[in-house]
Amino acid sequence: MKSFLTSLVLVLSVVLSLGISLSANARSTDPLEYLPVQDQGRVKPFDTFARETLQLIWGKQTFEGRPAVEIVMTWLLVPQLWDQKQFITIDHKGLKEALNLKVTEKHFSPSDIFTNSRISLVFQELATRREAKEKLDPYFQAVQRLENQLGTYDAVRTAQMPRVVPPKEGDAWIPVGSLQGGLREKFVELSRTFISALPQEKQQDKKDASLPAVSPEEIKKNGEALKTATEQFIALARAENPALYAVDSDLRLEVHYRHVHPFMWAWVLYLLSAIAVSFAWYSASSKMYRGAWGLAIGGFLLTIYGFAIRSYLTGRPPVSNMYETVVWVSFGAVLFAFILEAINRRYYVLLAGTIVGTLCLLTADSAPVILDRSLQPLEPVLRSTLWLTIHVLMITISYAAFFLAWCLGLIGLVMILKGDSVNAERVRSITQASYRAVQIGVVLLAPGIILGGIWADYSWGRFWGWDPKETWALIALLGYIALLHARLTGWVQNFGMLAGSVVASCLVMMCWYGVNFVLGAGLHSYGFGAGGVEYVTAFVIAQLIFVAYVAYIKMARSKQVTSN
Amino acid sequence: MKSNRFIRFFANVKLAVVIVLGLGALIAYGTIVEAQYDMERAHKLVYKSWAMYTVFGVLCTSLISVMIDRWPWQKKHTGFVLAHIGILILLFGSWITQKYGVDGSMIFQIGETSRNIVITEPEINVYASLGDGGYTNLYSGEHDFLLHPLPKDGLKIQAGGHQLEIFEYQPYSMREEKIIASETKTDGPAVRFQMQNPNVNVTEWVIQTAEGREAVQDLGPAKIVLTSKDYDAVGQNVVVLRPEPDGESLNYSIYSSRSPAGVAPRKGKVKAGDTIETGWMGLVMRILKYMPNAKEEVLFHKREKPTPLTQAAIRIRFNGNERWMGLDSVLKFFTDQAVYLVSYGNKRIDLSKVFQDPGFEMRLKKFEVGRYQGTNKAATYQSLVEVPGRGEVLISMNEPLYHQGFTFYQASFQEDPKTGKPTASVLSVNFDPGRWVKYLGSLIICMGTIHLFYFKRRYGKKSAEATT
Repeated sequence: MKSFLTSLVLVLSVVLSLGISLSANARSTDPLEYLPVQDQGRVKPFDTFARETLQLIWGKQTFEGRPAVEIVMTWLLVPQLWDQKQFITIDHKGLKEALNLKVTEKHFSPSDIFTNSRISLVFQELATRREAKEKLDPYFQAVQRLENQLGTYDAVRTAQMPRVVPPKEGDAWIPVGSLQGGLREKFVELSRTFISALPQEKQQDKKDASLPAVSPEEIKKNGEALKTATEQFIALARAENPALYAVDSDLRLEVHYRHVHPFMWAWVLYLLSAIAVSFAWYSASSKMYRGAWGLAIGGFLLTIYGFAIRSYLTGRPPVSNMYETVVWVSFGAVLFAFILEAINRRYYVLLAGTIVGTLCLLTADSAPVILDRSLQPLEPVLRSTLWLTIHVLMITISYAAFFLAWCLGLIGLVMILKGDSVNAERVRSITQASYRAVQIGVVLLAPGIILGGIWADYSWGRFWGWDPKETWALIALLGYIALLHARLTGWVQNFGMLAGSVVASCLVMMCWYGVNFVLGAGLHSYGFGAGGVEYVTAFVIAQLIFVAYVAYIKMARSKQVTSN
Repeated sequence: MKSNRFIRFFANVKLAVVIVLGLGALIAYGTIVEAQYDMERAHKLVYKSWAMYTVFGVLCTSLISVMIDRWPWQKKHTGFVLAHIGILILLFGSWITQKYGVDGSMIFQIGETSRNIVITEPEINVYASLGDGGYTNLYSGEHDFLLHPLPKDGLKIQAGGHQLEIFEYQPYSMREEKIIASETKTDGPAVRFQMQNPNVNVTEWVIQTAEGREAVQDLGPAKIVLTSKDYDAVGQNVVVLRPEPDGESLNYSIYSSRSPAGVAPRKGKVKAGDTIETGWMGLVMRILKYMPNAKEEVLFHKREKPTPLTQAAIRIRFNGNERWMGLDSVLKFFTDQAVYLVSYGNKRIDLSKVFQDPGFEMRLKKFEVGRYQGTNKAATYQSLVEVPGRGEVLISMNEPLYHQGFTFYQASFQEDPKTGKPTASVLSVNFDPGRWVKYLGSLIICMGTIHLFYFKRRYGKKSAEATT
């Protein structure tokens, strides 16, 4: 117990000190991060706006090591420097061909695209598609993305974005370019201090000989001046319409959340925990085992911390888009693993839980285009939060149990591969744990689907409408029910149960991901290439091949036994 | 208890596994049909198909058989029996809804009334007017050609001594309206024009459906009027066009909202190809085409897959005339004795008849949309509706109106594509006598599942202790 506590304390203190060292690494342009702006239906810190904008156009939240705030602010102040710079990312090969751009290049400059002779034609085609209300194939999705990238960059360079001052009437904020009088002067002042507070490397990069070299101390002093200018601007903007202006502490919390990145640290801890528990299993070291628990709990607490901030900022439980459900599933998988591991203490459930946790959070972290991590406003019908919350939380946490069963299934299959006579006892107990996890999943999914029906009845007047999402949830449930019944009759033994829980997880994948990205994009004319479908398909096929391989080995072995 | 062979066969849990997997595969196919086509096709051809009813039938037989087979039930059977009975009750409730429920929608413009709900069951009606002002219904029948395809040689319907023949059906077709020159002298004129300035470029038709009637094309800040009579346009931005007897030129008068009353409009004469300086914000009007007699022709182009703009269309022959008609439209046929109307559209249910209250109608008094700050994204919307005997009722998202067993939900709204202002509210209207049965079934299923989960665990522990 003691070593468990020490490792937990150690982990948290490491994370905290990392957070502190990050803030020690502070830049003199940081004060600008807290400037409230209105964007996409809510008020957010300039930091968030800049990160989301840079993410959209460039694909990452930093550019050549510099933070988004500095990049986006210089688009606004010195667009002529950026118009020639290659930072607009285009991935789609067909689109590059259509625009006569080099297919081998990935990034293009705004002037490459603005002066492209085919661009208006391509956009016109998109407009025609939209007018005909046809589904957009991956090519047109890429065109739409480019339109969005160009539109956003153009809005920033012409100062129609960001919107920084609340209006006296109405609710659309005033963009930088339309500021008048004192507000305009204050913004100019803010811009001036911002330029002088830019760290050295940025100025060298501009190769502007007219700018004198500035010492780091001076830049630090200029950072103070930027802080003052920002605070003065905020005070003036707030005075325009205090009721519409953002609450300071919320902005600070959001900037803090972006900096600390709790979900990233959580997967790092889960991964370490998975490694530790593997060692513990191998060497039967109880110290290692306790350390693994500590690491996993540390990751779990960080997930809860990140979740709490997101919920507070959006004012709703964070399960309304793909990104949030992926994080939620990691939470559920680790939670169930804790419970089952605490009951039987045999290493592998904790291993499975931390592996699922790592995979989920790693995916969430590394696929920002598909898994949009921005905080978004909700569609009207989703605003009845009580029913929505309960049923979505239940259904997605049942996925967590199924993925725990999936991972246990894979571990069990590996044990079978290593020789089922040697590992007979282990295989039996892993199968039992996997069966248990499937049961947890079913006992959550069945009421979850029913609650979904009640929610639909309450909001739309129909209990069941064969909507693809609800239908696939039902298909997944039927798959697992078939598996449980097959186990009940003895139709499937240990191998069947393990293989079944791996194969049935494909149904969950289809419900969770496939309905949006395979069915939603339309199976008919394309289907592949949008939103990472190729990776998910490869993942599904790989595990099916693995199951088939284990089945083959097992059959070959039993033949040997009978022939002997 | 000794079960007979039938019961034993259906009580086999292995059979249950097959049924459950079969059901899963069938509805998975349904979702693929929906992705490739649309919801309606998936519903009618998969979820409400005979294959589906058969699977449900076998499922119920199996659920009942296995419970009979395990008789007399013991304590350990509680969860299993509850879950199975719950599923049976849930399916029974769904059957009641399917058979006796109503699921439709109600659309009304702001300020207007409605008492009809529309359900997606197409029907064909034939009416005749014998000149006394009223119409007699000669034929009425439900015809869903998606569910029951047309016979090869078409469908023949007898209506008042005439034969209505339906010989082609396109589930997904694009409607196109064409304005073409007409030989008939009683057809009214049509003008195609363009309005242009550095910011605006609009090309539109203005057509008189019958000679003498005035035609107005409202472009928001300006109107184009085609008429042969007087038109009171003082104080508005209006171009009034009047056909000349030569069949080639038009007389125009331009009114401006800014010119004081009493000032005579600017007048002149134009032909196709000529331009007119309107004097409003530098707008130039160009006459692209002028036809002294014109008619609208409606064409339907076949599509393999639906889009939000496609609709179902049928080709009919009545009294020797062959025409295409789209869903939710009415065609007129003239004979020497009478005017016949043929309508093809989704079935309407008159709520005043359902409620046995001849005066029943609902009025949409007000409609409001709340948007997310600084965007056009709707956050909430609500309808203020006047209901007889209830006064004003607010129907909003997740706050429906319950009235005489029917529930009215705020479903969506329509907006003017030019101004972006809402024009009509769409309510989804629902009558579901199976609701509480389904809820009861759901509750029992949940209890059963949870019981199974806990009981298994205790049972599992005991047996584990017993073996060690």
